[in-house]
Amino acid sequence: MSACLELTDLVKKFGGLVATSGVSFKVEQGESIGLIGPNGAGKTTIFSQIMGELRQTSGKILLYGRDIRRLSTPARIKRGIGRTYQVPRPFREMNVLENIRVGLMPDNIWKMVFEGPDRDREEELALSVGLSPGDLLRTPAELSMGDLRKLEMARTMATEPSIMLLDEVFAGLTKGEISQIGDLIGELRDDGMTFLIVSHDLPALEPLVDRCIALDQGRKIAEGPFDEVMRDEAVRASYLGG
Amino acid sequence: MLQILIQGLLLSGLYALIAVGFTMIFSIGRVLNLSYGSSLMVGGYTYFYFSQTLGIPKLAGLAVAAVAGCLMGLLVFRLIVKTLEGSHVAIEISTLILAVVVQAAIVLLFGDSSKILLPIIPGVVWVSGAAVTYNILAAMLAGWAVLAGLHFYVRATHTGRAMSAVSMDLKGAAISGIEPDRINMITWGLSGALGAVAGVFFASYTQLSPSMWVAPLIISVAVVIVGGIGSIVGTLIVAHIIGFMEVIVTAWIAPELRGVFTMLLIICVLILRPQGLFGRAEL
Amino acid sequence: MAVRGRHLALWGLFMAGGLLLPLLVDTGIIGRGTLRTIIMANFLAIFAMSWDVLSGRTGYISFGHPFLIGIGAYTTAILTRRFDVAVEYSIPIAVLVTMIGGAVLFIPALRIRGSYFALVTLAFMELVYQLVQVIRPDLTGGTRGMSGIVTLTKGAVQGYYLSFTLMALLGFFLWLLMKTRLGTALSAIGMNEDSVAGSGLNTTRLKLVAFMLGAFAAGLGGAFYVHYLGSIAPRALFDINFVFTIIVAALIGGAATITGPIFGAFFLTFLLEYLRPVLPGAERYLIYGGIALLVYMYQPGGLHKILEVGLERLRKRANP
Repeated sequence: MSACLELTDLVKKFGGLVATSGVSFKVEQGESIGLIGPNGAGKTTIFSQIMGELRQTSGKILLYGRDIRRLSTPARIKRGIGRTYQVPRPFREMNVLENIRVGLMPDNIWKMVFEGPDRDREEELALSVGLSPGDLLRTPAELSMGDLRKLEMARTMATEPSIMLLDEVFAGLTKGEISQIGDLIGELRDDGMTFLIVSHDLPALEPLVDRCIALDQGRKIAEGPFDEVMRDEAVRASYLGG
Repeated sequence: MLQILIQGLLLSGLYALIAVGFTMIFSIGRVLNLSYGSSLMVGGYTYFYFSQTLGIPKLAGLAVAAVAGCLMGLLVFRLIVKTLEGSHVAIEISTLILAVVVQAAIVLLFGDSSKILLPIIPGVVWVSGAAVTYNILAAMLAGWAVLAGLHFYVRATHTGRAMSAVSMDLKGAAISGIEPDRINMITWGLSGALGAVAGVFFASYTQLSPSMWVAPLIISVAVVIVGGIGSIVGTLIVAHIIGFMEVIVTAWIAPELRGVFTMLLIICVLILRPQGLFGRAEL
Repeated sequence: MAVRGRHLALWGLFMAGGLLLPLLVDTGIIGRGTLRTIIMANFLAIFAMSWDVLSGRTGYISFGHPFLIGIGAYTTAILTRRFDVAVEYSIPIAVLVTMIGGAVLFIPALRIRGSYFALVTLAFMELVYQLVQVIRPDLTGGTRGMSGIVTLTKGAVQGYYLSFTLMALLGFFLWLLMKTRLGTALSAIGMNEDSVAGSGLNTTRLKLVAFMLGAFAAGLGGAFYVHYLGSIAPRALFDINFVFTIIVAALIGGAATITGPIFGAFFLTFLLEYLRPVLPGAERYLIYGGIALLVYMYQPGGLHKILEVGLERLRKRANP
């Protein structure tokens, strides 16, 4: 197995605030890793730096051994990373299929103009994440939080990533929706997808990850199998001490 | 040299007076009130009607103008901003349409031709060969007084502090028990009243005409962009930068180019430092 | 979103109707005055469509659209009037120069959005307005503008044919283009630009395409407009009231639809025209602005959306 994503000594400062403080870790192909930690631990900030939405103050990010620090977000997505957001960000006035259509589009103006949308693929993606056929023409305002998260998964999958970063996938979901999304992640893992998952819902996270990385105040405080990390003194302290 | 200094100070004071109401709205709601120029025009015409046509005392006329401006601000907030809550683009477009409607209404009521407003305080003082009307002097002093008063108000009173809290963080302010709605009403009312007073001085400096709302709007926009959000001192400083720049360009380069440099300044600042010279680093 | 036969048939009907309309002049059903009114509506429709492509979808609101229109108009006016360039060359050059102007307008869009962008476009317009009067007045005609510019058509009927053909072809071209995935992507930028980047699309390039298309239409419209009028005056061109008319036409018809701005332009032009006998003065603008404000506040999607919602309701009532 080779490392498909590698962070080395990543640092991000906002003025005086250190949001990420020398974080390093490796993700192997096909692995699933949970990122845990209290609010403000710097989980989302790390996602944003991996995607290039925030520029790191210092440190390295390697994707399949290649330094991607200078690449724009779309260029990184083309190289195989995709992410979802804690607060889903759909296109409000478009229906489910059109939302997925944007994800499926090639980054090429000519192809956009001269090639029509692939309606079958749009539907296939929507159904594969568990949206029902009746939802396809609905707008985001008519969808539940769970369906919005599914839609966001579908739009991200449309860009054909090999690594997916999921930010608080279970927040605001019902029990049933949590198990649906869990099953979906399981299926994708069987197909070889690599995952980096942020979640506060530890019981839901446990069966989906090979390893966990615990963060507190921008620092990595523990790394290893789920149970081991949970037993870690520093991790317990960070959760209890807030 | 002394001429430029005096002219610059006078014009800058007037600009500060004009821009302050616009800045307040932008600081609180991050929204551009493109009908702000109309508040000035409403103020100018109200004053003209009451003081010059009906002949009530000038100070009373000024007060009536302020009340009219205040009412207009409150109406714009209640009928447009509140209805379109959240959509900045929609608010900006609606207030622009409103500005044109107000312009048409003024033409309807007062006619197309421009009117001369008699000086609020007549008289001229000669400073080293340059005539300085008491009127523009009064405008400058009023500008400083308003800014100083506002500065004190925001710092020292409960409502003022609530305003600055709302301008920094709406959610945080709501959590700490401030009603953003009430603060918004006060701000819009105050902004309209200040605009109307500025309009009276502006009109007596130039003249009353149905298209007089454009120039002050552009000055206000320039001050907000160059200065950035939420700084009263910044407003004062930038009003002086722009005022002095215009006076210097008029005296040394060419009078026709005075506006060009202001526009170039706006464009450069927006592109190089979008948060403004004195603004907080956020967009 | 797909292009349907029904839509194409409607376009065909619209164009055929438009081209047959002048025949009614001979029969006396409509006067030449009406035809002249329609010519103005055609040009306003071109400007409104141009605004719609640039701003209506992407949400980068331009308050300085006359900046682009003016570049097109002045370029061809100066070339033909001062350098005796033939119109066949001067108009394409004017369109190209306008597209360069579009690229200049695009520079701030790289860094700022929302209100700030709208303001910088306003500043651009004021800047050209003042520059035109000061720099080389021997070329631009200064504050007074220029007259005696070559006109392409003689009389209302010819002017009508030219302006209508231009408007209808441009409208059809833009409409078709916006029905493709490019249109979807541009609308997506207006709804959530970050999510478009998050879908792996280069938003800078997409916005540039929108700006270039908008500038192309504005340049074309501006150039033909000046050759229709035969004169140009900076005060009327770089005027906030002109900005207002363009934006209101686009919005009242329905932004991001192309057909909406055409409809809006005709609606507003005729509204003004029919108000003329009843209200001869500036009162017309009061009503005009009032209607625009009410429609826009009631439904930001414009008449297009109101019609759509109304039809939907009727359909539901017909087969519940």
